[in-house]
Amino acid sequence: MSCPKTQYLLQEYFSEDLSAVARDELDRHLSDCAHCNAELESVLFVQRDIQQWQEQSVPHWDRGRELFRREHRAERPLSQLWLSWQWFPTAASLAMLCVLLFNVSVVSNESGFSVSFGGSSGANIDLRAQLAQFEQAQRGEMRQLVARVESRQDSNNVQLLQAVMEQAQQSTADSFDQMYAYFEQQRLLDLQDMRAGYEQLVDSDYETIRSLQQLVNYVGYQGDIR
Amino acid sequence: MSLVDEDEALIAAALKGSAYAWEKLVKRYESKIYNHGLRLTGNSSDAMDLMQEVFLGVYRNLHRFRGDAKFSSWIFRIAHNKAVDMNRRKRLMTSSPKFSSEDEGGEFEKFPGQANLEPEYRLGSQELNTRILAMLNALSMDQRSIVELKVFQSLTFDEIAELQDISANTVKTRFYSALKKLKVVSEKENVLS
Repeated sequence: MSCPKTQYLLQEYFSEDLSAVARDELDRHLSDCAHCNAELESVLFVQRDIQQWQEQSVPHWDRGRELFRREHRAERPLSQLWLSWQWFPTAASLAMLCVLLFNVSVVSNESGFSVSFGGSSGANIDLRAQLAQFEQAQRGEMRQLVARVESRQDSNNVQLLQAVMEQAQQSTADSFDQMYAYFEQQRLLDLQDMRAGYEQLVDSDYETIRSLQQLVNYVGYQGDIR
Repeated sequence: MSLVDEDEALIAAALKGSAYAWEKLVKRYESKIYNHGLRLTGNSSDAMDLMQEVFLGVYRNLHRFRGDAKFSSWIFRIAHNKAVDMNRRKRLMTSSPKFSSEDEGGEFEKFPGQANLEPEYRLGSQELNTRILAMLNALSMDQRSIVELKVFQSLTFDEIAELQDISANTVKTRFYSALKKLKVVSEKENVLS
């Protein structure tokens, strides 16, 4: 059996701003009306059912950290920039540029060190004289070194030449010996061949004479018969 | 220090450029916003997109937060607006949006693809949440949003009405309709199982 108040009452049941009087009236109706009560129980059951949702953990993400840092870095005041040592490489580059542009020289000796700008100082003249002496000494040493290397190279060349010549002579003598042996061998072979040829020729001549003798004998025999 | 005061302290520090304070503030609310998105959209990728959009919106408008309302109300208002925008974009991308039979029009409609929940919510240890999502899936987006705000975020009917720019009576009607529909779905499930 349905109740015409169910829809309205149950809509109001979930309202937070229901007055105490209205709430009492609603409760009274629910205790009297089995249909509304059953309907309320069923929707409350469904509500409790979905409230069993278990919180899912959030997949990994960067939480906008990069965006936050990037944007706040761009808005950082100049004082913070100064404190963060980001100016140091630029300052170092500028200092080096100044050193080069003003031709700064720093000379250190027994009496301390001195810094000078430009190229025409007394220290520079001393330095040039020292450099000239050093160059002379280096040239002298270089000449001696070259002479020593040349003489050593000459002796090496002579030794090498001698060794080459000896080797060439040795190889030439060996070659002559080999040639002589070869010619000798050829000569002996030729002699053997000639001897064999003569013997063969003599044998064939002998055969020819025998054939002629047989022919003569045959002719003589035929003449006797006639 | 109460949670509200802590929120305000974190906001003040984040506005001064403290990344740590910002991260702590995000950590406080990310789970609530993510789960809110998950129940509204029915899938984790949309929930992640929504959550990221919400925190981007929070970041962009943090300087406008005056502390008149609770930060939690403020962030859920942003979440609601982002969900409306997201739903509108999805409606534009899909050719035939599916309207609810019970509620006419409204800002929300069903999110595309919500009928097919992602496999991760269909399998294994997520069984309970999967069942709840399947039930919520039967609701129109209007009803779903109201159930979310009323049941899970414990907003009053008046607060929901203000948030959605509708009357409190409409909110009550939609909420009760939603509960009735959920009851039907639940009974169907019980019969099938």
